[in-house]
Amino acid sequence: MPAAQDTILAELTEMIDAVLGDFADDQVVTMDTTFSGDLGMESIDVVALAGRLQSRYGDTVNFAHFVAKLDLETVRELKVGQLVTHIAESLGQADEVGAGSR
Amino acid sequence: MVRANGITLHTQRLDPPGPAVDGRTGPTPTAVLIHGMASDTMASWYFTLAEPLSRAGFPTVLYDLRGHGRSERPATGYALDDFVDDLAALLAALDVTGPLLLLGNSFGGTIAFGYAARHPERVAGIVTVESAPPVPEWMRRVRERLARVADRLPRAGAVTEIGARRGRVAAQRAAETHRMLTDTSLAQELPASPLPTAGALAAIDCPVLCLYGGDSAVVELAPTVRGLLPQTRVVVLPDQRHTVLIDRPEEVRRQVFAWLAEDCSLDVAQPTTA
Repeated sequence: MPAAQDTILAELTEMIDAVLGDFADDQVVTMDTTFSGDLGMESIDVVALAGRLQSRYGDTVNFAHFVAKLDLETVRELKVGQLVTHIAESLGQADEVGAGSR
Repeated sequence: MVRANGITLHTQRLDPPGPAVDGRTGPTPTAVLIHGMASDTMASWYFTLAEPLSRAGFPTVLYDLRGHGRSERPATGYALDDFVDDLAALLAALDVTGPLLLLGNSFGGTIAFGYAARHPERVAGIVTVESAPPVPEWMRRVRERLARVADRLPRAGAVTEIGARRGRVAAQRAAETHRMLTDTSLAQELPASPLPTAGALAAIDCPVLCLYGGDSAVVELAPTVRGLLPQTRVVVLPDQRHTVLIDRPEEVRRQVFAWLAEDCSLDVAQPTTA
């Protein structure tokens, strides 16, 4: 896994723990962990996570747009790794845009 | 998190990525998405219409009602007017001063009508899914429904049974609903809410879209809505139940965007999911 994704996964894991609070299990969050099945996150927990993503990354990482592109089944089975990849790609594109304007 | 009307409300805003919609006059309405009572949260809108509305050019506001989701849960204060006061205070706190497009799922639609009855000048359009204005017949049904849930959930094994039938997350949600109905006066206060007068409701003159599931009992309220607000466009989605918003989001989306174009002169192209 690229170093950037490693860092993002670590940050995301912290946000997930914060969202779940006392309900967080002690399990290790990996790229294959599912939000609903493995972490027991309800849809409102995922929305709360989206709020934290917006605070951390701003509009660069548009979670609402990301999930809107997925079909319902994929959203239901969403894996941490899919979100990590999306964040990495969004941040990468933002870097490119930034570099292009310099 | 936003402090409004003395409590903390979990709120999210989705700003349009591009410029506002072209081809009409006046300021773009802010879309405010209001979820339903007891076991619902803003997630129902977040994963269905929030993003398409924001991408079409509407500044979009979502929030968890008091007692619900991640908003504060005071023990009392669950009459219709409390929910309307929360919404008014939230919009003031967010500095949303222009016209509003209110979308409400189930009882969220009733809050939308309740807000419009008290602030008619603010509301440019109302969309409800499986809902009705605050009229006695509807509130009687709300009372029955809440009583049934409040009666069923405390029974031994009820939550376990839901878990076995519909999975862990559904069981968590049922347990959460049980906690809310135990810790708050919602099931008693809400059905006993003082209601707006029929005159105040009939004075709502903005375009209205009411969507119903054909297999849901709530569709029986449609003639009442049309009698009160003749401008209402009623759309019944066949074979659908009370959960039509989350079961058929694309169909709901299509109906909302057609109504926006045809009844509200908000000629927005429904965004593709590209």
